[in-house]
Amino acid sequence: MKKRFSPDQLALLVLLTVLCVLPFTVTGYVLYVVNLLMVFVVLALGMHVVIGEAGQFALSHTAFYGIGIYTAGLINTSWHPPFVVSILAGGLLSAVLGYVIGFLALRMRDIYLALATFAFGEAMQWVFLNWESATNGSNGMRMQPAQLFGLTLTNDLQAYPFVVAIAALMLWVTVWLSRSQFGSALRAVRESDVAAMAMGINARAMKQAAFVISAAFAGIAGGMYTLFISFIHPESLGFQTTILILTMVVVGGIGSVRGAVAGAIAFGIISELLRQALSIQEILYGAILLGFMMFKPRGLFAGSKKRAAKAPAAHAQQGGTA
Amino acid sequence: MKTFIKTTLGAVAVATTLAAAAQSEPGLTDKSIKIGMFSPMSGNSMAYGFDVINAAKMYYDKVNKEGGIHGRKIDIVLEDDRCNANDLLAAVKKLTEQDKVFLLNGGSCSGPVVGAREYVEREKIPLVMLNASGDGALYPPSKYIYGAFSISQRAVGGSMVQFAAEHLKAKKIGYINHDDAYGGWNLEAAEFQAKKVGATLQVQSINPNITDVTAPMLKIRAANPDALLITTYARPVSLLVKKAHEQGWNKPIIIAVNGTADLKQLVENVGNKEAFKNVYLQEVMLDVPGGEQLKWVYDMYKQYYPDLAAKPGYPQTYMPYGIPSAMAVINALKVAGPQLTREKFLDAMSKLNFDSKVMAGPIVFTPTDHAAQKAAIYLRFDGENKSRVPGSYASAWTYQPK
Amino acid sequence: MSLDEIWLFLQQGLLSGLVTGSVYALLAIAIVAVFKTTDVPNFAQGEMLMMAGYVALSLLLLAHLPYVAVIPLTVAVMAAGGALFQRVVMERVTGSRGVGVQLVIATLGLAYVLKGLVRQTGLGDTPRSLPSLFSSDTVMIGDAALTQLDIAIFAVAVVVMVLIYLMFTYTRIGKAMRAVGMNPRAAQIVGVRLSRIRMMVWALAGLISAIAALLITPKVLVTPDIAHIAILAYAAAIVGGFTSLPGAVVGGLLIGVVENMVGLFISTNAIVVAPFLAILVTLIVRPQGLLGGKVQVKKV
Repeated sequence: MKKRFSPDQLALLVLLTVLCVLPFTVTGYVLYVVNLLMVFVVLALGMHVVIGEAGQFALSHTAFYGIGIYTAGLINTSWHPPFVVSILAGGLLSAVLGYVIGFLALRMRDIYLALATFAFGEAMQWVFLNWESATNGSNGMRMQPAQLFGLTLTNDLQAYPFVVAIAALMLWVTVWLSRSQFGSALRAVRESDVAAMAMGINARAMKQAAFVISAAFAGIAGGMYTLFISFIHPESLGFQTTILILTMVVVGGIGSVRGAVAGAIAFGIISELLRQALSIQEILYGAILLGFMMFKPRGLFAGSKKRAAKAPAAHAQQGGTA
Repeated sequence: MKTFIKTTLGAVAVATTLAAAAQSEPGLTDKSIKIGMFSPMSGNSMAYGFDVINAAKMYYDKVNKEGGIHGRKIDIVLEDDRCNANDLLAAVKKLTEQDKVFLLNGGSCSGPVVGAREYVEREKIPLVMLNASGDGALYPPSKYIYGAFSISQRAVGGSMVQFAAEHLKAKKIGYINHDDAYGGWNLEAAEFQAKKVGATLQVQSINPNITDVTAPMLKIRAANPDALLITTYARPVSLLVKKAHEQGWNKPIIIAVNGTADLKQLVENVGNKEAFKNVYLQEVMLDVPGGEQLKWVYDMYKQYYPDLAAKPGYPQTYMPYGIPSAMAVINALKVAGPQLTREKFLDAMSKLNFDSKVMAGPIVFTPTDHAAQKAAIYLRFDGENKSRVPGSYASAWTYQPK
Repeated sequence: MSLDEIWLFLQQGLLSGLVTGSVYALLAIAIVAVFKTTDVPNFAQGEMLMMAGYVALSLLLLAHLPYVAVIPLTVAVMAAGGALFQRVVMERVTGSRGVGVQLVIATLGLAYVLKGLVRQTGLGDTPRSLPSLFSSDTVMIGDAALTQLDIAIFAVAVVVMVLIYLMFTYTRIGKAMRAVGMNPRAAQIVGVRLSRIRMMVWALAGLISAIAALLITPKVLVTPDIAHIAILAYAAAIVGGFTSLPGAVVGGLLIGVVENMVGLFISTNAIVVAPFLAILVTLIVRPQGLLGGKVQVKKV
């Protein structure tokens, strides 16, 4: 009997090979772009957990990303611990704040959840811009090189293996969560609160947990970012970035892990390639979003057929759509 | 045995060639020097960089036509940084690591260019700013970074207060700046100068994105100062001058050089010539823009960019600021000699002292001060014509290491 | 701060606040109307406002039309654009089995496209002004100074709001919009053409964007950043009650006044974050806002 690789495993293998070969063949700049893509992947996975798995339209993702960046950066500058500590601290603080915000926001229904989390995200950017003593405000914050037991990371090449490793770890965690009972419970809640509760699932607690996990992911992504970047300015920590991540997840396919990864890589590459042509970038993103919403609203890697079959039934319960 | 010797010699040869290649400076060949340039070439801050980079480019071109420097011609790679810290950092990374330039000559926006300080120092690549003030990267000085070819923000604040106190005899001075680092720099020297001349400042710090300036202007008016100094970027200047006029303000208003990016649009936006009855502009060149002493720059621009020069609004206000920066690079390259290295270039930069024939003051660097230009003149502006106020007004602030 | 100063700031803050607040109220009405009728929070409202400003600017500067022609043309273009977007894009999204989330994301796509288009023209590189139909001569009301333009803005905004109110209450289309908002199935049964009504409400949103832009830009200059004004409109809609049109008006005026008061009494810096705090506080303490009814439970 021949053992066949699934398309997913094949893709991962190819990706892994490419990632291993890259450092020996390309410039530091290209490795910088790859590092950035890894951060985007983790951000997209985090958003996948809260929007894709749990169905909660939360728009505060970038706030937790920023918290991760500043926390990891400040801890590193103050105490120079092994960077694992700084990153975990960033993830933890984001998770705690995610718990608080989740607690407040999840009392609201969807549109209000979206608006509240949006307002929180914007308010957080204002804090990053104005809390001078902590973040150095609009001057931006300088990062010192991260280190791990004597090894100092001073450029993209040195940070690369660790960034990739962390991204791989977070991907594994996402898949594990998705396949676990927790994942099934989340998806049940996504389809219908009432049905889930009838099955004995504490819908509220599930949503809260998803919120916290996604915040932690974003915080860890922030920590990853500090490994290879020397300076952060709050300009890039606003709603625009949340929309970009949302685009990655939505176009990739809501509810699909490979969709989130593919979306992150695709849009990450586009955003760097078109960095000098911002108007083209914006028109392109807009056209892609409109196109997908009009013709393939579920995104590229739509959820499984089983989930798709359930979806229309749930939606038939609402009024309001033609 | 023979094979072994041959292989060893071969390996040694390869190793030495590799080592030699590794030791040679990036961006350098016998015939060329690669310079990485960046500034906002598009977007809503392009008035701060688009023509500045054009001026620098035309200067490099002139030098190339005259044979280059020690037989090497200047080879330029351009990136658009959109006046945005994160974009600028990405641009600098690309130029340094992908294009492997010898030195960086770029930066028109202070905040963003300061953000590149850490990276530039880690990569040990020289950075000569274009027209950015860049105070945050100049104080404390960095071995690799030179700037403030237009003027440092410290000098902006100090000079304006000096002008208000000396020429306008103001004792109570209204001061509107931005609530960011940039605003903080000019305020620091303004406060220093005010203390020195015995004047008081009434400060309102506003967000660069503000749309309604009623509140800050009202507070300024309530304090009733003798003159109003504005050190914001161009758009808030329009709003402030407009609002001042609406509120019946008729005392002198002095606009810092960074707010004068597009005077024609300023007048249009304010919409009322009456508002310019008592307005002064800070200028850091040695003459009125378009004046006799600067004719050579504008003529050169017309010669190099005839299509642009024919369009209305071109050359842009800050165009000539590209010249002193390119001049500094060229002068330092000349002094560094034909055995060129980054170290030699930086050493030459730290000792430069020349008259650019563009700026109000000389371009002076010392090992402890990497801010080039500190003098400013003032022009009376009635909405159409500019007339020079005699004298030059200097800022007294100096850097004190903490 | 002296008592005189406090009194001056209060008067100025109130009056200036009512002026800008009336424009926020108009935009809030557009947001609420679209939401009530189609269940979609329009995340492109700010970009529509910005687009209206640049359409007017293009007609003025590139087509060299006289301003009196520019005004009705801009309104017409924006109204048509809004209706077109609903008909071509939004209907297609629902047709492809897209639901709440996807519709909102479609509005985000619209926002991107509008932003990119304006950036592509390069018109936004310098702040520009539209001619003002009213002078900037000062009018003193008590101790506060307003301009004739300010008064005109407020007056026109109020007139437009009254007209919209009349439309919603007395005209067939207005009643149909309300019906579709309350219960689309039932409205469809009694013969209301859902597609037509949805197009009309989006046309209304476009029309309001144009009017708001023409009103506010002589005061704040035409830049791509005027899209941020919609955030204040969102805060207004939420504070007033996201499903209440009168709430939108009250919310708008309130937010305008609060914004000015914060700027005068706290700091100009705090102005930027005030609307977000208002949104958070409202949603946490009283999600239905001031005038909203019971909180609607609709799954997005």
